[in-house]
Amino acid sequence: MLLLGLVLLLLPVSAADLPGTGAPPLRGPGLGFSPPAPASSSSSSAPRLLLIPQPGADPRAPGVASARSGMEDPTGPVEEQEGGQHHHGGGFRVVQWEWSYVQTPFIIAIWLLVASVAKILFHLSQRFTTVVPESCMLILLGLVLGGVVLIANKKQLYQLEPALFFLFLLPTIVGDAGYFMPARLFFDNLGAILTYAVVGTLWNAFCTGFCLYAAKLLGVIDERVQADLMDFLLFGALISAVDPVAVLAVFEEVHINDMLFIIVFGESLLNDAVTVVLYKVYISFVEVGVENVQTADYFKGVASFLIVSIGGTLVGLVFAVILGFITRFTKKVRIIEPLFVFLLVYLAYLTAELFSLSAILSMTFCGIGANKYVEANISQKSRTTVKYTMKTLASIAETIIFIFLGISAVDKTKWAWDTGLVSCTLIFIFVFRAMGVIGQTWVLNRFRLVPLDKIDQVVMSYGGLRGAVAFALVVLLDGERVKAKDYFVATTIVVVFFTVMFQGLTIKPLVNWLKVPRSTNRKPTINEEIHERAFDHILTAVEDIAGLQGYHHWRDKWEQFDKNYLSKLLLRKSVYRKSELWEAYQKINIRDAISVIDQGGNVLTSARLSLPSMASRASFPEVTNVTNYLRENGSGVCLDLQAIDNVPGAKVEEDSETHHVLAGNLYKPRRRYQSHYSRHFMPLGEKERQDREVFQRNMKSRMETFKSTRHKRHKKERSLKKRRGSDTKDDGGDKPRRNVSWHDKDPVVVPVESEEAEHSDPEKDEDVGITFVARQVETSGESPPSVPAAVGGAQSPTAPPSPISEGSQLPWKGGVSSTPPCVSVEATKVIPVDLQQAWNQSISSLESISSPPAPVEPVHPRVIALSRLGGPRPASYTPPSSLGSSTSSIGAQVSQGSFSFSEKKKKKEEEEEEEEEEEPAAQELQPLMSSLRPPGPLPPPPPPPGSAPGPGGRRNPCVYLRSLVSAPPAGSSEPHSRGPTQL
Amino acid sequence: MGASHGRTKPNEFQELMDKTGFSAEQIKNLRIRFRQLSGNEETISRENLDSIPALANNPIKKEIIDAIFDKRNQHESEVGSFQEIGFEQFLMVMSHFRPPTLKTTVEEKEALRKEKLRFLFNMHDTDNDGIITLDEYRKVVEGILSKSGAIEPETAKGIADAAMLEVASTNVPNMAPDDFYEGITFEHFEQILKGLEMENRMHIRFLDVGTTMRCGRSTS
Repeated sequence: MLLLGLVLLLLPVSAADLPGTGAPPLRGPGLGFSPPAPASSSSSSAPRLLLIPQPGADPRAPGVASARSGMEDPTGPVEEQEGGQHHHGGGFRVVQWEWSYVQTPFIIAIWLLVASVAKILFHLSQRFTTVVPESCMLILLGLVLGGVVLIANKKQLYQLEPALFFLFLLPTIVGDAGYFMPARLFFDNLGAILTYAVVGTLWNAFCTGFCLYAAKLLGVIDERVQADLMDFLLFGALISAVDPVAVLAVFEEVHINDMLFIIVFGESLLNDAVTVVLYKVYISFVEVGVENVQTADYFKGVASFLIVSIGGTLVGLVFAVILGFITRFTKKVRIIEPLFVFLLVYLAYLTAELFSLSAILSMTFCGIGANKYVEANISQKSRTTVKYTMKTLASIAETIIFIFLGISAVDKTKWAWDTGLVSCTLIFIFVFRAMGVIGQTWVLNRFRLVPLDKIDQVVMSYGGLRGAVAFALVVLLDGERVKAKDYFVATTIVVVFFTVMFQGLTIKPLVNWLKVPRSTNRKPTINEEIHERAFDHILTAVEDIAGLQGYHHWRDKWEQFDKNYLSKLLLRKSVYRKSELWEAYQKINIRDAISVIDQGGNVLTSARLSLPSMASRASFPEVTNVTNYLRENGSGVCLDLQAIDNVPGAKVEEDSETHHVLAGNLYKPRRRYQSHYSRHFMPLGEKERQDREVFQRNMKSRMETFKSTRHKRHKKERSLKKRRGSDTKDDGGDKPRRNVSWHDKDPVVVPVESEEAEHSDPEKDEDVGITFVARQVETSGESPPSVPAAVGGAQSPTAPPSPISEGSQLPWKGGVSSTPPCVSVEATKVIPVDLQQAWNQSISSLESISSPPAPVEPVHPRVIALSRLGGPRPASYTPPSSLGSSTSSIGAQVSQGSFSFSEKKKKKEEEEEEEEEEEPAAQELQPLMSSLRPPGPLPPPPPPPGSAPGPGGRRNPCVYLRSLVSAPPAGSSEPHSRGPTQL
Repeated sequence: MGASHGRTKPNEFQELMDKTGFSAEQIKNLRIRFRQLSGNEETISRENLDSIPALANNPIKKEIIDAIFDKRNQHESEVGSFQEIGFEQFLMVMSHFRPPTLKTTVEEKEALRKEKLRFLFNMHDTDNDGIITLDEYRKVVEGILSKSGAIEPETAKGIADAAMLEVASTNVPNMAPDDFYEGITFEHFEQILKGLEMENRMHIRFLDVGTTMRCGRSTS
């Protein structure tokens, strides 16, 4: 794979040399890449953005030719690539070799591909990647690739171009880091971060520079290194800055605690200003010559530092405000929300570069500042998009940076080795880093609330990784003025490799050995969130009482300001009132809803969801996000396909939609909840009112969307079932039924449903009836196997009492009772035999996937009996494995019959009447049903299952039939929805 | 007066230093503040604290002031609340917010943590029965949220309920359907806040130098 990538990389390069030398290369539209022709790697100012350089001197290296066999003349690649292209002398070309046209994007794409594939390969071995950081592997890969390119081409074609690095690779990483920076943590430790970034970097730069100069004077460094004090100071400045890319790459895998990470990482970001200024100051000093530097210039340097850092920060903050403000108004054009985020964050970077301010600072603060408002303003999907895109880009940029670092190292022409310089630099940067950290920490600890202990200091010293920024800066040096540039390049490469590879490799064992507290990737609980807030207020209050104007005091002031002005300006009105805590609460709610449904209901966790009314009450726009969230989790909870299209303006609908989702999911838990708490604070009347509301809403929406989506129907039906279960609570706890009802969310159900719907398309009215019963029987067949024994056991005791008593009580019972005659009529009509068989097969296959077929047996007797009643239906008699399916098919037919019956009734719109009429019918059915019960005379006699699930399983279908058959009337008209509540 | 005061302080405050762990400088600063608040009286009353302008916006102002006048926070086994507190009591309350130092041992940190937790717990447990009931907890949460986050009281209530349920579910995982979770005991409270590094959070920096006191004076 890698070889392939390599060949691909070599291919375009050599091919580029062939026909492309004469023709002016076309620029990639809008990409802004300059043509590859002018290749002068030493020019520091002109931004050359190309990955490939130098098609200059010897266009056709023999190595390339050997690498690509059969390439002898310029037509070689054409033939090789295009196959059918032979004529290129003149006239019309059938296929043209348009290399120069696609060159730039092509090569970029190939590089991205290679980098991504490399990443995949590294992660093939789990054990390997836990030991070796990815950055090390990437550098090694870069070395190998560079070696191959070198061998093949006799000269290095690729290297990390500073302009490419600073304009494209670095911003993606910094943008990601800034945008997702944990702001609170960052600002809590801002003092330490700033100290390390400014004082530490200055200290490192000066000490390293001076000591190298001293070493030079002492003769440790070879004479060939033509450098004076200014050169060494310059080198010290660029080599002393801790690199954000390297820190991120290494520390991400180490998982040290947040505080330590934010300090090291924050330092690496914020020291950019220092590095930039020092670098520029020294460059100018080197240019004018040390002797010409006047005292005023030093002050200018200080002023420049202030301007660069503060200016960069301000630019970032201005863009953050713009970004927040823009996203306030994107409600109608959600699709471009992520684009705004990327554009403005990137513009912040570019603008800072434009004024030669600290671009990293600008971008970081833009990200930090905008994050809060943007995240609140944009939609959930946009948030996800932003997150994924940023992470992808950052990841790929990081990969490319490390690979190119490796490749660049192979280029022998660029660097010159001096052991003295290299070893001195290595020692100095390490020693001064450690000294700087210890000294600053000593000072800081006098002021810090949470002191940094020795272990922290060791990790911080050791974590001072240098990386691509230093390399890019050293490559940018002007070889004319800085004579020792090649030595500096070599030293930088060694330092970068040493810190990234050696320290990167060893920091993990070190952290383990020192037992540095790790970060816990745990979501805070509600209580923790609440107390986080409480702490803030308490501490502010105590500071105020104690008369101190400390950190909390000012933070509180800032929050007041933010609340009163900034949020009003930058947040949408609708989100303005919402708080993070509320969101956390929301998420926990949803998570629990999912877990409840997945597990079949844990009493207490489910209890937490118990406030479905909140969703409707607090009019927050994020309701839709709840739906999205559910769907993204793929838990199968939300099958609401309609909500996927986020139609602007349909917010009200979505609100109610979400409410239904929540109500449907949360309804049951709520009951649980009340059993614990309602005695105290929730009046019983309210509960009933809510129940009714949930139910009625379900009914209403069912009416509205009767035909629109099957999935939706599915969901609503479930809540309906729950409703039923609660209504018949007197018959014996709702829990078992609830458990059963969850099964209808099984994916199996959906296809069944859809097929059913197709079959019954001509007869509109029967659609629903079919749907319901199909699922019902499905459920009955499924529930025993998929529900653990506990649930199965729970079913039997709580199954509705005797069918007879129910029949006399419940109006919908009649629907079932009247089925037998209808079945025989309807069955063959609605589902033709051949279709039926196919259908059965599909179901049985699905069923065998989802659950072992054995415990469907309780349903069995009825199946047989009904099938007998149903008349000719050989197809459904697939032996035991497909019992469930045959059951469901018959059930479906039964329901059709029953439904048509009840539908007729329904037309009268008189529920009482219906009730009366159906009652006798229900009683008629009872003997029939009971006679079917003994599982004796069955053609395929399966072993009798546990006695407990038996009756439960047998009865449950009845329960469902009841509820389901009654559903259509309920859905179609208001009086019917009244029905259940009357009971 | 300042100079003579400063000289006598070390001896004068030795007892307080041992008791509260504050340094002499800190005690001195706090004493100045105390006198500001009390208007040079020996004791401080609720009204004195109520009138601190900076506190006006604090959503849990009342709770904090209650906690300061709470006898339980005096490291003695008394229950009830003072009408007025002297400087020593004031210091004792403030000492709950003393940050740990580098020299603090693990056991001491644990003790510190417990102490801070106890303070919080006492703040929530307004009726002194050793249990934070739902009503009490609701009040706290509403207080924290309603003003700061601008959430509707309904929502705050919901969050409080959810938080309460969370406590119940973490501490009594296998609750029978008919059980009723009465409230958060201190043990449960400790349990649910295990994830928070109390010893690293619940403290403020008491200044050793008296410079900022001038700012403090200006606020009062």
